[in-house]
This record gives sequence, C-alpha cells and structure tokens, in this order.
Amino acid sequence: MAARLQIDWTRCDGHGLCAALLPDSIGRDDWGYPVLDERRLAGEPVAAVKRAVACCPALALRLERVPART
Amino acid sequence: MTAVLNSQRLVPVGYVGTPRLLRALDLLDPAEHLAAHGPLPVLDRAGLLGLLGAAPLAGRGGAGFPLAAKVRGLRAGPAPVVVVNGAEGEPVSAKDRALLGRAPHLVLDGAQLLAGAVGARSILVAVGDPALAGLLERVLAGRPRVSKLDVEVREVPDRFVTGEARALVSALNGGAALPPGRRVLPTEHGVGGRPTLVCNTETLAQLAVLARIGPAAFAATGTRGEPGTTLLTVTGAVANPGVLEVPLGTRLGDVAAAVGAQPSQAVVIGGYHGMWLRPAPKLELSRAGLARDGGTLGAGVVIFVGERTCPLGELTRVAGWLAGESARQCGPCTFGLPALAGELRRLAGGTPVKRNALRMADLVTGRGACAHPDGAARFIRSALGQLTEELQLHQAYGSCRRSDLGQLATTRTVW
Repeated sequence: MAARLQIDWTRCDGHGLCAALLPDSIGRDDWGYPVLDERRLAGEPVAAVKRAVACCPALALRLERVPART
Repeated sequence: MTAVLNSQRLVPVGYVGTPRLLRALDLLDPAEHLAAHGPLPVLDRAGLLGLLGAAPLAGRGGAGFPLAAKVRGLRAGPAPVVVVNGAEGEPVSAKDRALLGRAPHLVLDGAQLLAGAVGARSILVAVGDPALAGLLERVLAGRPRVSKLDVEVREVPDRFVTGEARALVSALNGGAALPPGRRVLPTEHGVGGRPTLVCNTETLAQLAVLARIGPAAFAATGTRGEPGTTLLTVTGAVANPGVLEVPLGTRLGDVAAAVGAQPSQAVVIGGYHGMWLRPAPKLELSRAGLARDGGTLGAGVVIFVGERTCPLGELTRVAGWLAGESARQCGPCTFGLPALAGELRRLAGGTPVKRNALRMADLVTGRGACAHPDGAARFIRSALGQLTEELQLHQAYGSCRRSDLGQLATTRTVW
C-alpha cells in the first residue's frame, strides 16, 4: 500500500478500536495506546485500514500518501 | 539619544580562541555597536543564498537544520515573517539570554538582514523572560527604524516545549504554546498563516557576523564541514559556569580547562534531550564529532557530572522534571514519562528494573506530536548505558553513599 497510517497523538485517547479491527498489525501499550507494526500494516488490505481510520472515535487516524521513491 | 540601562543580571561569558559573537558586549547604543562591528550589509535572496552556500550555517537551536534549506523552503507568495526564537526553555541553557541581553543589536542585525533578503515586513522577537523582554523593548526604541519593517517583542510562556518552532508559532498566533498534532511547516503556514522563518537567536547573530566578515574569514575557524564558532552553556561541577564561545570542533578538554571543571564521572552534552557521554578530553565538540559517539550538540549545553554527586539521583530527578514538562497532549508521553521516572526511582532504590526502564524508553519514542518524548528517552537511555557500575552499587547496597548534589539543574539557573 502506497499510504501510511498516521496517528495524531494529540487526539488519540486509546479507545482501541483500531487495534480491535487490525489485531495482527496494531497492538496496545501499557496504557492502551496503539503500537503500530509498520511492516505488517503494509501488508493489510487498504480497505481494512480505511475502515479503521473511519471507525476511530477520536478522529485521530489518517492515511497519508507516501511519495513514490524515485 | 537616551542611554539604555542594562538592569539584567549579566550572564558570565568566556571564550576559547577568538570570540566573534561575544566580542563587543553590553553596547546597547546602536551607534557604539556599529562602531565596534562595522556597518551591516544589505543582501537580496540570491546574495544570502550565495553566502550560505559558501559558509553553511546550521541552526543553533538544537536540530541543526541548515538556514539555507529553511530559506529555500519558504512558500512563495505572501511576505514572510521572521521570528527570533529566544524562548530558551532548557533550564540550564543561557546562551540565548546572554546574546539577547548582552549583544542584542547583533541578533537584531541578523534578523533585519534575513528579513530584507526574503522580503519580510515583520520581525517578532519571542522571549520567555519578562525582564529580558523589557530590555529588548528599550533597545528597539533606541534603534533606527528600517522602512517597511516592523519589529516587535513578544513574551511567551517560559517552559520547555515553547521553544519548539511549531509550538512557538502557535503561541504567537494567540493559541497555546503547544506543538500541533498535525505536521504543519512554519515555512509554509506560520505566523498569521504567512510563511515564517523561525530562527534561533544565535543563528541570527552568526548570520550578522558572516555577512560582515565574509565566508572565507568566517571559515578560518571551526571544522571543514562546520565552519565558525558556537556558543556553549557550561555548568555542573565547574569553578566558573557560564556561556563560552568556542570554535566548532573544540576538544572537551579545552572547555574543561576554560571553566575549571572538577574530575567528572560523565558529561551531559546537548541538555536534557541530549546524551550522557564519557568525559574524554579528546571528545570533539561539533555535530559530526559528537555523532561519532551517538551524541548531539543540541543547543550547546555541556554539564560536567562531578565525582562527588550520585549520578543516578541526578538522573532520577531530571527524569521527573522531564515528565513534568510534558505538555500532556499525547498519551504515550503523558503516561510513559512518569512511568519511566518511576522505574528510575526504583533503580536508585536498588530494584533491578533496568530492562523495564529501557522498554519504556522505547515505548515513548516516536509516539508524540513533538520530539519531547524522543529526547527524554534518548537522554535516559544514554545515562543507563553510562552508569553500569553505579547501577551495580545501587543494586548491591541500595545506594552509592553519595547524595544528589543538584549538578544537573532543574530550575532556571540564576547567574
């Protein structure tokens, strides 16, 4: 996927929906905040990642395009 | 012209080699300043970039970002704004207040030259110290005005994160002095939405010197990749703490001799977002020299940790202070830094939790809107790497029989 999941840490409250929706690539730290596994995330279907973005109750997730390497 | 009285406490200064920024101090009358330094050249954008191409000038606020790249990154269109970043939030650092308090015209010269070259109509001088703001108001009142250029002093909250460029822009825009959650570059959308150059106080003073003496003379000292001098704030177990101007690449041993440093267990370089290093006299104080040891020059804070203090006690206190300086915007920093400080307290009490402390340092890294958790984690990780024997003592006896002498100051140093 040529996009990266970005977290706005000032918004994230650690609700944990993203981790529940993408359990293989998003874990949670000692306080419930998401811990991204970038490598595994890159293998997730874009639709699944988009669903996690849309479901975040704090609107803290964003898919950001990664400029193509030249 | 009425005389401007300097009622500030004067930060003690010294130098290794020949000083440039600290050459003619306390000349608050602009005519006396010009007589000492010579007239200020006027440059256009191409002239400025040519100058910076011949003598690269890295920002002196901590990140070391090249000034030329910042200028090139300005969004085209509306007239830019120049911000003098004098929000020196690091409690030990005094170089910005030394410059603004003792050589204010040199800093204003640099800002004026930069504003002229990029077509800015407004310069904002941001400082956290009310007395310094008052002094700068009086200095500005006595300085000849430049047509179509407004210069204003703005007082901003005196705390650690205020100096972060985006937090400072937010404060100058009337918001909280906190970094925003989304990446917004001040060079694109800064003060009032205008493209904005946020420059450290020293960077601007260096620019004023570079423009006057030219790139060849500027590069006559320093290293090949990092020409010129730099300001250090040197404290801790030293006889004469203060701000030193040294050629880039100066050895730690020469700095130790200049300030009368006592025998030391470690040296902290780059402040509380910096690193603990072995106090090797040959350590080269430049960005490249410190990078070889995994360190950073940061904003130039050098603290000697003497042999009579408990370094783990010093570290634990600073870790608590760093946790308290969290802006509490981002969860991993809000909860992670206090938890990390708690693990250090347990370590000092002899509980073997080093691995968990390192795990928490990793956990906060890269997970915030600004670099505060990253810097704090780097500082603590490097200390734990240096203090192996100290940790063994605490684990075996519950202490090292020394107490925390407060050599790593966590309140503003009064000079």
